[in-house]
Amino acid sequence: MSSPAVEVDNLTKIFRLSLRRDYLVAVQNLSFTVGEGEIYGLIGPNGSGKSTTMKVILGLMKPTRGTTSIFGLDSRDVRSRHRVGFLPENPYFYKHLSGRETLYFYGKLCGLKKRDLKARSAELLALVDLEDAADRRLSGYSKGMLQRIGLAQAIIQRPQLVILDEPTAGVDPSGSRKIRDLILKLKEDRVAVILCSHLLEQVQEVCDRVAIMQEGKMLKEGALDELIAVEDEVELVMKNLPPGLQSQIENLVRDDPDAQLVRSGHPRTTLERLFLSETEKGQQGEGKAS
Amino acid sequence: MSAAIPEYRPPLFSAQRVWTLATSTFTQLVRMKTFYFLAVFAVLVIAASNLNLLYTPVQQLKVIRETSLGAMSIFSWLFAISATAVLIPRDLEDRTLYTILSKPVPRLEYLVGKLLGVLLVIGVALALMYAFFSLILFFQEYSIISSEMSRMSQNPRYSLEDRATEAALISAYGPDLNLLYGVLAVFLKSAVLATVAMLISTFASSSLFTIIITTVIFLIGHFHKMAADFWVAEQQGALITRILGKVLVLVIPDFQIFNISDSISGGQSVAFLVIAQMSALALMYVIIFTIASWFLFSDKEF
Ligand SMILES: Nc1ncnc2c1ncn2[C@@H]1O[C@H](COP(=O)(O)OP(=O)(O)O)[C@@H](O)[C@H]1O
Ligand SMILES: [Mg+2]
Repeated sequence: MSSPAVEVDNLTKIFRLSLRRDYLVAVQNLSFTVGEGEIYGLIGPNGSGKSTTMKVILGLMKPTRGTTSIFGLDSRDVRSRHRVGFLPENPYFYKHLSGRETLYFYGKLCGLKKRDLKARSAELLALVDLEDAADRRLSGYSKGMLQRIGLAQAIIQRPQLVILDEPTAGVDPSGSRKIRDLILKLKEDRVAVILCSHLLEQVQEVCDRVAIMQEGKMLKEGALDELIAVEDEVELVMKNLPPGLQSQIENLVRDDPDAQLVRSGHPRTTLERLFLSETEKGQQGEGKAS
Repeated sequence: MSAAIPEYRPPLFSAQRVWTLATSTFTQLVRMKTFYFLAVFAVLVIAASNLNLLYTPVQQLKVIRETSLGAMSIFSWLFAISATAVLIPRDLEDRTLYTILSKPVPRLEYLVGKLLGVLLVIGVALALMYAFFSLILFFQEYSIISSEMSRMSQNPRYSLEDRATEAALISAYGPDLNLLYGVLAVFLKSAVLATVAMLISTFASSSLFTIIITTVIFLIGHFHKMAADFWVAEQQGALITRILGKVLVLVIPDFQIFNISDSISGGQSVAFLVIAQMSALALMYVIIFTIASWFLFSDKEF
């Protein structure tokens, strides 16, 4: 049996805040597994510990308790990073390098040989649609272009796992659609992806499984279809409803002894609805505890 | 559950990766236009070689040697401290470090690569400066000797022997192997200095802090022998100051060992043994401080 792409086992990460004798629990007893070729969405409000979790998986931080591994190799082992690509939040690369030089740099760090590197860089520049800008320095790149060159460097050594932290933050809708298409392309190639995002629509579009985090804890995790399907409810989405018809329907429902109208109004993304209700619940729980 | 062993076991230390990091650092520093200093240097050397107001022929060559070696030292020290102090914090601030360390790059390789990149720039700059000023010195020596000889030949007071002595005296200050030793000493001193700056920058909160502390260590390091005599021999005083003194003497490198350039610009020959000893000591300092930096850096979280 082969190991899962990522295994997070009972991870706790506590930051010691300097000056004050204070601790901050950024991640608490977090466990999850990402299978080979699976697209895993990690969503949660700002400060819920998503980036911290990614950094521990990548060995940039040490866990306070628990372990994380990539394809069975502990994250603290530098060799675990051969099979993973990472795009950090708001990345900056060396501004003095051109797009092509950037890919050469990261490719060489991954041990790619010269000939392979040249072909692979050209292929990736085409994939992320930066062929025209390939020989321009990154200091002149827009946010969306930086994000795409970042994605290209993340997959330069053909890793079987890619970790993307807010890949579409600050990118315009068309740029963000390009990134989504690239993720779907990775999915076709059976590359596992961890996608941290607060763009729920995007997560819903590409992810197989989703975890919702808040204040360092996992609120809910599961296959996307199961999470957002509500078995005992039926949704009617109607267009151009004539005035009065809505209240007629509502009256019909009210007259039925069992049926119950849960909500009416304009439709929302289902994942977004789930997200809001879960985090609101979490908020209430916290309120009681403290 | 079986932990899958990856089919490919890469080496834990790769010279190729270090070289990639070093050349990228080199490119970065070059594209920051650091080599503009070379133009300043050229102007300085040419100015020094045309300052023949009051000098005797020997003094004139001495001025060129001293100005050049002095400018080379100052460039190397300033560069060693400031470039090293800025590079790693900038990688961290720009989050470039995340993308590098999330590749299979051990932290030691990152440090060695950065240090090597800085040393490459210093080495290349020193080589270019050395070549330029040797050339100037060579032509100056030639023109001074020929003008001296023609002056002396017109005066019957000077014998042939006198003229040969004078020519030998002047050419002792021309380009020679000792100059190369002097440049090597400048390089080694800068290498140690850069490694100290790297060590400080692994725990410093800002580049300014690194620059200040490294400069202080650099200055104290020039009084190393004095400090060692004073502190190590010191038997009185509180235990704590005695221990502190000994620790300081052990931790702060002795920068005085590199000051052979004074005697070299004076034209004295320097024994090869001194050079070898100096190189060995420099290498030892660089290795020790690199290991210490690694120790601190590998515990760091980003
Ligand atoms: N290096 C650090 N030192 C101290 N606290 C940190 C550090 N990194 C993150 N935190 C804190 O940990 C919490 C989780 O942060 P993060 O993982 O970045 O959240 P997210 O990515 O979900 O927005 C936040 O409260 C943040 O302030
Ligand atoms: Mg984050």
